[in-house]
Amino acid sequence: MIVLTPFKKSQYPIIAQCINPDVFQEKSKEEIGNLPVWIGNKKRRLVDLFKVEKNSANSTSITINGDVTQVRRIGWGMTQGEIVVNGNVGMHLGKKMSGGKIVVNGNAEGWAGSEMKGGLIEIKGDAGDYLGSPYRGSTVGMRKGKIVVDGNVGSDAAVFMKSGTIRIRGNAGPFIGFRMTGGVIHIEKNAGTRLGACMIGGKIVVSGRLENIMPTFAIERLKGKVKIEPGDKAVGPFYVFLGDLAENGRGKLFVSKEKNPQLSQYERFL
Amino acid sequence: MSKIDAVTCPVCGCLCDDIELTIADGVVAQVKNGCAMCEAKFFSHNNDHRLKTPLIRKDGKLVPSTYDKAIRKSAEILAKANYPILYGWSSTDCEAQRVGVELAEEVGGVLDNTAVVCHGPSILSVQEVGIPTCTLGQIRHRADLLIYWGCNPWSAHPRHLERYTAFTEGRFKGSEWKSYINKVKAAAGRKKLRSLERIGVLKHKPEQVAPTVSDNKPPAILNKKGRKLIVVDVRKSMTAEMADYFLQVKPGKDYELIQAMRALVRDQELDVEEVAGVPVEYLQQLVDAMISCQFGIIFFGMGLTQSPSKFRNIDVAISLIRDLNMRTKFAIMPMRGHFNVTGANTVFTWQSGYPYAVDFSLGYPRYNPGETTVVDVLLRQESDAGLVIASDPASNFPRKAVEHLVKKPLIVIDPHMNATSLVGDVVLPSEIVGIEKEGTAYRMDHVPLPLKKVVDPPKGLLSDEEILRRILKEVRKIKSKKLEAA
Amino acid sequence: MNLLIKNGFVYDPINEINGEIMDIAIRNDKIVESVPERTSKIIDASGLTVFPGGVDIHTHIAGGEVNTGRLVRPEDHEKDFVRKTAITRSGVGYSIPSTFTTGYRYSRMGYTTVMNPSMACLEAKHTHEELNDIPMLDKATYPLLGDWWLVLENIAKGDLEACARYVAWMLEITKGYAIKIVNPGGLESWGFGRNVHSIDDQVPNFGITPREIMCGLAKVNKMLNLPHTIHLHTNNLGIPGNYATTLETMKCLESIPSDGKPVVHITHLQFSSFAGEDWGSFRSGAGEIAKYINNHDHVTFDMGQIVFTDTTTMTADGPFEYTLYQLSGHKWVNTDIETETSGGIIPFHYKRKNPVNAIQWSIGLELALMTKNPWKVFMTTDHPNAGPFTAYPKILAWLASKKARMATFKRLHKKAQKKSLLPSIDRELSLYDIAIVTRSGQAKALDLKEKGHLGVGADADVAIFNLNPEEVDIANKYKTFRRAFSNAAYTIKAGKVLVKDGEILQQSDGKTIWLDLQTSKEIEISEEIKRKFREYWTVEYENYPVSDHYIKHSSPLTIKADV
Repeated sequence: MIVLTPFKKSQYPIIAQCINPDVFQEKSKEEIGNLPVWIGNKKRRLVDLFKVEKNSANSTSITINGDVTQVRRIGWGMTQGEIVVNGNVGMHLGKKMSGGKIVVNGNAEGWAGSEMKGGLIEIKGDAGDYLGSPYRGSTVGMRKGKIVVDGNVGSDAAVFMKSGTIRIRGNAGPFIGFRMTGGVIHIEKNAGTRLGACMIGGKIVVSGRLENIMPTFAIERLKGKVKIEPGDKAVGPFYVFLGDLAENGRGKLFVSKEKNPQLSQYERFL
Repeated sequence: MSKIDAVTCPVCGCLCDDIELTIADGVVAQVKNGCAMCEAKFFSHNNDHRLKTPLIRKDGKLVPSTYDKAIRKSAEILAKANYPILYGWSSTDCEAQRVGVELAEEVGGVLDNTAVVCHGPSILSVQEVGIPTCTLGQIRHRADLLIYWGCNPWSAHPRHLERYTAFTEGRFKGSEWKSYINKVKAAAGRKKLRSLERIGVLKHKPEQVAPTVSDNKPPAILNKKGRKLIVVDVRKSMTAEMADYFLQVKPGKDYELIQAMRALVRDQELDVEEVAGVPVEYLQQLVDAMISCQFGIIFFGMGLTQSPSKFRNIDVAISLIRDLNMRTKFAIMPMRGHFNVTGANTVFTWQSGYPYAVDFSLGYPRYNPGETTVVDVLLRQESDAGLVIASDPASNFPRKAVEHLVKKPLIVIDPHMNATSLVGDVVLPSEIVGIEKEGTAYRMDHVPLPLKKVVDPPKGLLSDEEILRRILKEVRKIKSKKLEAA
Repeated sequence: MNLLIKNGFVYDPINEINGEIMDIAIRNDKIVESVPERTSKIIDASGLTVFPGGVDIHTHIAGGEVNTGRLVRPEDHEKDFVRKTAITRSGVGYSIPSTFTTGYRYSRMGYTTVMNPSMACLEAKHTHEELNDIPMLDKATYPLLGDWWLVLENIAKGDLEACARYVAWMLEITKGYAIKIVNPGGLESWGFGRNVHSIDDQVPNFGITPREIMCGLAKVNKMLNLPHTIHLHTNNLGIPGNYATTLETMKCLESIPSDGKPVVHITHLQFSSFAGEDWGSFRSGAGEIAKYINNHDHVTFDMGQIVFTDTTTMTADGPFEYTLYQLSGHKWVNTDIETETSGGIIPFHYKRKNPVNAIQWSIGLELALMTKNPWKVFMTTDHPNAGPFTAYPKILAWLASKKARMATFKRLHKKAQKKSLLPSIDRELSLYDIAIVTRSGQAKALDLKEKGHLGVGADADVAIFNLNPEEVDIANKYKTFRRAFSNAAYTIKAGKVLVKDGEILQQSDGKTIWLDLQTSKEIEISEEIKRKFREYWTVEYENYPVSDHYIKHSSPLTIKADV
């Protein structure tokens, strides 16, 4: 196991793509310490910014102790192994990852799990914007894997999501599941506006309050329970909406009936 | 006394190039064809407040210096920086912008232009859904349905209507100026009455209650042939006064409104009676008018890009245009503000691949608004030096961003003293592009136009381009010395 | 400075040199008879292949459309970036590289001259500004003239003389090199969302047909003695069954008097050689097209070869891009230019397992291999439409090696394999043929007298590849061949060694070549025309031309016209 401890909190952004179990694998402590990182516009070695320790021989897990809010691209493209961050973490955490596990005991900045292809990300605190969403201009969203956020989530999560699961235990910002085509999102508390705008497929479950529903969703029925994952069901009853009609979409919104009396007006269409 | 024709006006994105100037004693004496903003700009070169020597901050005060010293000082600041920002660019020429990209690359900085606070969101959505658009002449010749959404050209782009849209005579479409004149007169009359009331000449009558949106039924004219002007906004602007139809939308509800229109274009039924305060029935009539036009266009402004949900507003507006093209011909265009913000996007893109928010800190261009715009960088307090050119962020950035900008060494290049130069550490005055220096600018529809030099600059002044070149040269000198030392 | 390239295997088809071991002498920027060996820099080319510098007749590298393509594809750049070095600027790729990167990448493959084939006249300054920022290459650009109102009006009136003068004037003020025609009549129709569907359809509001536009401009081309023919993107491009339109197009131009020289260059012919009624019955029309071209000498073409990759399509053919948008639903850019043209952009991923794409791949190669005379065929991808230019070595391998073709063929969609003619084609291009389709033929078609060969007086543009033709059979060892042509051993331009072993040694600006047309009667810019100008465009007459300072290194070619 590798333990990294940042010497201090940086003012400048740090790009540290190398903090990745695939890269660290079978490297000595010295080799790991010599891996390149960028701080601002200067190229440095990992050992210049972190205390690097290695205990037990061949485990592919990495633990980071301390605040790494400014460190970006941790776990970029990782395929296996584990990263545990005891502190807050910077942007693009686990971008393009296809396997393995990342646990953040703190908050994560934007684009965590961006373009994710597999694996698991657990964020014990809050997550920023664009959780599991693609890079600018790309239509390749989350394709597999699972993201669990215990806290709140910013805006534009799960854009272009194709498959996989996102569980948000707190509140979510606007534009969750924008243009999604598949997969499941469960928001356990309140959801922001424009939920599921332009969605074509997939499902979004809101167990809390949904202030406004897009006018381009049509109510379909009431449903008691909805499956999130094998062996995991959310308990309703839920209003089930179909949309987004502006895209001739067949995505489904499940919105808690109990928490959303303002939607009772839709019942007349049932 | 001499006359110069076909001068391009360096003010707004309209880039009118039919300005006629009279020059007397090396000074612009008369401006013909231009709007009020144009006149003000051309007269500004002879302004008393014009800064004519470089300034360097010493013991907290800006004191006069020389170009050599100020450029040397600027180069030192930039060469030393770990994460400098280089911001502005929208009110200078493409020639200076080209050097700017090279400088940003050399110092490993974050290069950004004013699009970040105006039409940056539009660019983000163009990158997601594309954009069906055209040049302005195409609208003059062909458009019979003109929609201004969240913008007020009457005051922000005063000649837009007369040069490119409603009041122009095209090959296939005639001008509708006659019918508008009466509306303009009526609106002006109302304003006059109101001001008379204010100064007490007339007795104040209680304001007529503004018609609520639900009273505002689309008029029959929308189904008739000929040019029609529609304005969509949160309040009735001067442009709206002239429109054939003004659609008032609840603030912040544009997204829902357009999305509902999209569903209607696709012949979907909605479960609601009204959207954003507009009855669906009216919306249906509006959509029908859009489908049945021959060539339609939506111009959108900051009302759409800077209201809640920002770039998704543009995303949905462009998607509407995409849908409408299945039924007729429709286009969409952003109303760009600064005269060469389009040029800045264009130059940045051909050299670096990205239109704004380009981060060169890793030695290659990187782009991710939300991470790499100057506003993001300042709000996270990451930069350690700044260069601001042809822009005034101190007066229009968020306060927290300005605080960080001021805290770090700041270089300002601008023809005039502005709020930003007042807090700068090195201030470099420059020639006014398009008046004292020739160059190139791009109109809001990407048409490049030459800017003219019509008068001589004050003696000893350098152009933006030249100042940047010299800074770049100095930076390289410092860097190679450092390399030798190492 | 003198340079002597010694003992290379020289391929110079224009001078009929086929792999002879020779020395090439260079003084300053020209090839000369000889230079004194003692005072010259020597490049030992023994065991290496020496070609003239590459010439690309059709590649979208600069201008409004290309740049909008760059703008809409950050996800394309993110995966392909280039760091700044002490010599070179930074940049991004992949399908539409930024300007500097474009220059470097071409130069690394031994190219020295490229033609930007699609310039909206109104935005000509933009194209030239970008060309200035593309180092390492000589460049020229073709203005889009096929749907320009003044062309349509004068041809409709039957006044070719006036049309010719307007065209001459436009070529000169936009600093252009050839007449580019895209979907004639279709782009004007697209102004109101329509299109033309045959060469005899009426263009709305103008009382003219595509046939008349093409024949008219072909005659104008002749009257002006332009070095290149009309450069044509056919009607119905990209639509199943369009090979019939292409045949009709070529037939309608048969009657243009030509002194045995070509009359038309049909560009990216692959996209115009589709048979079948719809996408389901889609098949190759290459057989019929190649047969026609083998029997007629008034046509040259470039391939527009498909490469299986994620790329960006961009063309002035707005209605075609709209069709692609309907097929793909991807982000769609359309840009109509007042009184002149239109344009569109769609990102596109060509896939081996897509039967249509796979057949398209086959069509391009069938065309090139079934056309007997290599001087009529030029290798392009219509960069970036059918693939980025960086894929050229791959295509050369397919042309030179049946083994290479079949290796790819085996992985195609089964339906495409059944429909392809490729298994029956055994032809393999030799290095001599490769030199023709990548430089000499293209230079000849463009009538660039100092390009595409290594004779005395030619520009000192030379590409040297790490390939020993005596030891390597390129048909068999196609991977060695492909590697050699991906990274030139040396690229020499204007006598300067720019690239060595695929590395850039120095950055050098190229020239912009344009036509300085001498008409017997100068076109008169009367008040009448100025008035018309104000009516037709939204810019002033004075601000329209590309003035000299927009061209960093100007290289005008003086042509005497017959009007």
